[in-house]
Amino acid sequence: MGNGGSHYDVLVVGGGIAGMESALTLGDMGYTVLLVEKEPSIGGKMVLLSKVFPTLDCASCISTPKMAATANHPGVNALTHTEIDEIIKRDGGDFLVRLHRKPTFVDPVACTGCGQCETACTVALPDQFHYEMVARRAAYIPYPQAVPKKALIERHGSSPCSFACPAGVKAHGIVSLVRCGKYAEAFHLHMEDAPLPGCLSRACYAPCEAECTRGQLEGPVPIRLIKRFMVDRYYQEHPEPEYGPPEKRRGETVAVVGSGPGGLTAAFFLAREGYGVTVFEAASEAGGVLRLGIPSYRLPKDVLDRDIKNVTALGVEIRTNSRVRSINELKEQGFDAVLLAGGAMDPGRMGAPGEELEGVVDCLTFLREVNLGRQIDLDGKTVMVVGGGNAAIDPARAALRLGARKVLIQYRRSRAEMPAHDWEVEAARAEGVEFQFLKAPQRFLGIDGRVVATESLSMRLGEPDSSGRRRPIPVDGSKQTIPVDLVVLSIGLRPGTTPFAPELELEKNGRVHVNSATLQTSIPWVFAAGDAVSGPSSIVDAIGQARRAAFSLDRYLNGEVLGEAGFDERLPVVDKQAVLARSPSLAVRSPREKRELAAEGRARSFAEIEAPLAETEVRYCASRCLDCGGCSECRECVRACPANAISLNMHPEEEVLSVGSVIVATGFKLFDAHLKPTYGYGRYPNVITAMQMDRLLSPTRPYHHLVRPSDGKVPDNIAFVLCTGSRDYKVGNRLCSTVCCMYSTKQAQLIMGALPLADVTIYYIDIRAFGKGYEEFFEQAKAMGVNYVKGRVAKIDQVDGGSLMLHYEDTTERGGANQAEHDLVVLSIGILPNADALKLFEGEALAADPFGYVREPNESIDPGRTSIDGVFVAGTASAARDIPDSILHSGAASVQAAGYVESMRNGR
Amino acid sequence: MAEPSTRDVAEVMRDEMVVRDRITALIRNGPRTIPELAEALGYPSPEVVFWVMAMWRYGTLVPTGKAGADGYYRYRLSEEHPVPTEQVEASHGQGQP
Repeated sequence: MGNGGSHYDVLVVGGGIAGMESALTLGDMGYTVLLVEKEPSIGGKMVLLSKVFPTLDCASCISTPKMAATANHPGVNALTHTEIDEIIKRDGGDFLVRLHRKPTFVDPVACTGCGQCETACTVALPDQFHYEMVARRAAYIPYPQAVPKKALIERHGSSPCSFACPAGVKAHGIVSLVRCGKYAEAFHLHMEDAPLPGCLSRACYAPCEAECTRGQLEGPVPIRLIKRFMVDRYYQEHPEPEYGPPEKRRGETVAVVGSGPGGLTAAFFLAREGYGVTVFEAASEAGGVLRLGIPSYRLPKDVLDRDIKNVTALGVEIRTNSRVRSINELKEQGFDAVLLAGGAMDPGRMGAPGEELEGVVDCLTFLREVNLGRQIDLDGKTVMVVGGGNAAIDPARAALRLGARKVLIQYRRSRAEMPAHDWEVEAARAEGVEFQFLKAPQRFLGIDGRVVATESLSMRLGEPDSSGRRRPIPVDGSKQTIPVDLVVLSIGLRPGTTPFAPELELEKNGRVHVNSATLQTSIPWVFAAGDAVSGPSSIVDAIGQARRAAFSLDRYLNGEVLGEAGFDERLPVVDKQAVLARSPSLAVRSPREKRELAAEGRARSFAEIEAPLAETEVRYCASRCLDCGGCSECRECVRACPANAISLNMHPEEEVLSVGSVIVATGFKLFDAHLKPTYGYGRYPNVITAMQMDRLLSPTRPYHHLVRPSDGKVPDNIAFVLCTGSRDYKVGNRLCSTVCCMYSTKQAQLIMGALPLADVTIYYIDIRAFGKGYEEFFEQAKAMGVNYVKGRVAKIDQVDGGSLMLHYEDTTERGGANQAEHDLVVLSIGILPNADALKLFEGEALAADPFGYVREPNESIDPGRTSIDGVFVAGTASAARDIPDSILHSGAASVQAAGYVESMRNGR
Repeated sequence: MAEPSTRDVAEVMRDEMVVRDRITALIRNGPRTIPELAEALGYPSPEVVFWVMAMWRYGTLVPTGKAGADGYYRYRLSEEHPVPTEQVEASHGQGQP
């Protein structure tokens, strides 16, 4: 354990009125004070009140000067949005403090508090400072009088969908933008991370959906289809990109080998940095596997063409029919760096007799012919596809569309081991593809050099092999001859890196050897990405890797140290169970059924199978998003902020320091009215708490006027139920809260001022008007017409129109059970101890009194002193108090702390 | 009046992002009270209160003046509120956003 960095004379924990008063008193005495507040503003609960009793002074008008004085006092360092992790008393009598500053994701120096980030934000969350009466935004300023008046962003972590994307596409951000109808903004957000949104919206396997928290309920949000709507809308409105080459050009040039998803992505990001980028493509058209490997019924070629324009608009030159055979030659041509993204386009061979026959082809050759529109007549023919991956499904389905009478897939393992996606298998099966599992051809039979049949054997599964899958073992005597007209081999693809072997270090399987973090190859100026590095994977994996390789290449050309720093700054992923736990009563929102062309009709057509969502559907689908991470990372705040203050890559900052003394001013908790279920709070919208009523009456209220939460009607008959959650053994709190009678009386008077025609009734056990001017304040309320009814409310029922029937016992000498109807009921909830105060200390425990408040062993003659020498308590952390008493108590605690510091200085 | 809401408050508030376009479209045709909006939207009026008050907070709409004799305020688009580029039909998607 270290000795701690900075030293302060006194640590004040809590920035409410007691904490501020303590800090100011000590600061004025000349002591150095560290004030730590866990909320993003100092001010506590007092600043949220409408007025104070009995003077009816504006609470804000009293609080805000103290807040400003605290924040600006030269002797006080006020840290907001900061949590104390532990306080340890040391042998010398001082204290070691560990704390962490929670990230606000907004630079507090740059932020001017203008609020434009709030207006732009696309995520609505309950506003805790309005006690959930209205929504705020994930980007927000706590309230208008906040000190500091700076924005912050609520982020719980990365949303699972965004975290799952290998390309770093912010799926949550896209969904939240689409939910708001900001389709173009969603498209632009996608383009920040991946330049091929059209292809990904069609052909991505959507790992984001697999991780969607809603998937644990009715089914995941269909993120890919939402993206497709966004892309289609944008491309419809923008046939050409809205941008051209970047204004800032660099002198260096980069050669990118391959124009598949990896090559295009790398070219995009490098060109955006200003490099001159040339893409070399061996085929006659750009797109790599997107063009040649994916049939148009899954990825229409016009969508790919438009995606490619996103890249070429930046000035990228794509040279087709240009196979690169030497990396060094590229260097000789003047390129400063090379990025290899050639994919895995070399077909594997079985080595079976007859494989050389005409009519036995590899899947890429077959699909290339199909996708380039070459004439292939399979009318009435039988086609066998060999393999079990996704690369086997596409040629099988394409063969059906070319007229094949029968298409069968032979796979040497069982269905369970098949690597192809389930939905692809089922779609193929629905179209009529026949699957033969545990079968594989051993030789191909031909006549006049052309295949006419396969000789296949049945298999059984043995022990798992190096891939973890069970090894297929031929079954003796199971030979079967199957007549075929065409065989398509889909048995593995290898990177086409053989020509580079003399220049570049390759793995045994032909993959390019790279540093896995930087994707730099054995030649410093050559980087590699995609299937050339990882073997056959997916489009989105290749895009993600290419983006990383481009990032490293840029650093290399900048002469910077290569590494992962600065590339992936995602927050840790949020816990899905925690997300579900914070929304316990979600409505059932079923996913929309995916619509596809009917299997019978589509099997003979290359028309796109999957139907798009309509706009109303897409908004509905987006509305199913649970906003798992809080902020969606849509970056609208970044765009809106005129001060460029948003900084989404902030992290918590830990600090260790020492202090001479500690004042605990952690305040109180309010009784949770849900725990009094007979009163209907949370079920009946017009049953609210007194804190909510105080917000409704404050100048910075959540509503424009005092209206009912059920329907926006001005209430004209309002009731207060005192002692809700206090003086009540049933809820475990027998203490009087000391302030409920008076704050209810205050609110009653304010209501009568705001709504002169309203009737106000206060149901009470007895009125405790014990302070200076309180009795007069109570009498004043009665004189204004507030109706005080001595009676205990048993339960509240909702009646027609949202009004409420109170059932109460008359506790006067008249007695009896009575009923009364009101159209708004305020529960005057009690004050409870804040148990957080007791968790601050490690080692010597801070003692509590029998009710859970911080114990003052000699409260009467030694106020503020606690069970730990050198630790003092101020305000409601030790008992329910009104504001004047809290301030007095803070003065006592401050003097006690000063005395302790002096005694330590003097060695006593 | 529409049925009271039993939905999670956070879920209701999230829906503002979808429903606000429909509310905007409705009050563009003339000021409406919250019960009128609830009826037109097919949502419980307590949920509409959440959305209308958030829209007021962020400057999309304002009450027209004092409450009427029936105790209800009527809401109109604020003068600062820009005309959306997207014309959203107020009638679509009854019952769900």
